Amino acid sequence: MDCDVFRELLNSYLDESLEEDRRQSFQRHLRECASCRESALSQDPSLLFAAAPEPVVSQTDVEACAVAVTARIRQQRLAHRLQRRRRPWLAAAAAIVIMIAGGLIWKVTVGGIGDSAAPGIEAFAEGDAHTVPPTVEVEMAGEDVRVYQFAAEDDDDTAVYFIVNPAMEL
Amino acid sequence: MVRENLCILPADVAIDDEVVMTDREWVRSAQDGDEEAFAKLIRRHSGGLHRAVARILADDTEAWDVVQMAFLKAWQRLDRYNPRYSFSTWLYRIGTNLAIDLLRSRSSRERTHKAHTEHHLRLVGAGEGAGSRADSSEADRILGQIVGVLTPQQRSAFVLREMQGLDTAEVAEVLGCSPTTVRNHIFQARKALRREMRARFPEYLPASERG
Repeated sequence: MDCDVFRELLNSYLDESLEEDRRQSFQRHLRECASCRESALSQDPSLLFAAAPEPVVSQTDVEACAVAVTARIRQQRLAHRLQRRRRPWLAAAAAIVIMIAGGLIWKVTVGGIGDSAAPGIEAFAEGDAHTVPPTVEVEMAGEDVRVYQFAAEDDDDTAVYFIVNPAMEL
Repeated sequence: MVRENLCILPADVAIDDEVVMTDREWVRSAQDGDEEAFAKLIRRHSGGLHRAVARILADDTEAWDVVQMAFLKAWQRLDRYNPRYSFSTWLYRIGTNLAIDLLRSRSSRERTHKAHTEHHLRLVGAGEGAGSRADSSEADRILGQIVGVLTPQQRSAFVLREMQGLDTAEVAEVLGCSPTTVRNHIFQARKALRREMRARFPEYLPASERG
């Protein structure tokens, strides 16, 4: 591109109306021709940024970035693998704890074994039609565990559920 | 096709296509878990992405953090990569969005403070014509001081289009907007930068207009 054409295209460049190949030629001339650059900058100083050549990026920084990212990827993969190994134990332990807790709640609310449970058993034995004993359900989905305990319909105090994996919210 | 890729290779259309092909092969290997293939993509594209993000953020060090985050996010989302677009456009989209989020999270007070502390830089020597000495570090320093007047979208559009050499369609793809919106962002950005440069860097005015 010669200097006359450059001057003719200046306004079209600033209006964003140049075709892509013309635009690239214009930018190349802006970088290479000092007198056209000076004249263009005096018309619109924002052309300084189009005239700037590419800054050099250090290869050391690029390599450091590659090493840091791949190290993070390996770390994440390892953490994921360890988490997968640990999960069945975690689920089993959580299930045991929840079963015990469920049993205790059963004992307190409905009865269970021993003298202290007698009123509850009596109440049930007397044929209270709308009193249903609580149930405990353990749902295993893959490595996740979800446990619910349902109380009797008329008992508002003992509806309890546990979620081991927070992603499995109800 | 993003010319920014070609920090290593000469700018040539045939080689551009070759770069995209190799990118796709490396992406496919990376999708199968090949970390070394992904490291090759990092080595090829991190420089260009860093230049763009550093100019958008006006912060070289923070830009490397964003570049690393962008590659990590790209690795985690490789299964969602659409090969219809070049890897670099997709990567620029992730990196630019992270940079825009970071800009939005910065308080305006921090930005003002930074602009003031950096204002002591004297960039142009007495008696020299500004146009004859435009270099990248000078342009980047000036941009760093005045870019705060632009919105994150205007900054990104201006940097990607004017300084990184992406075409309007690519910038639209990166920013997730229409080409018309990109042109409007660039038009508004240029207007604001022109005003700031005239106010703060009078050495770029013609001799007849200087005070």
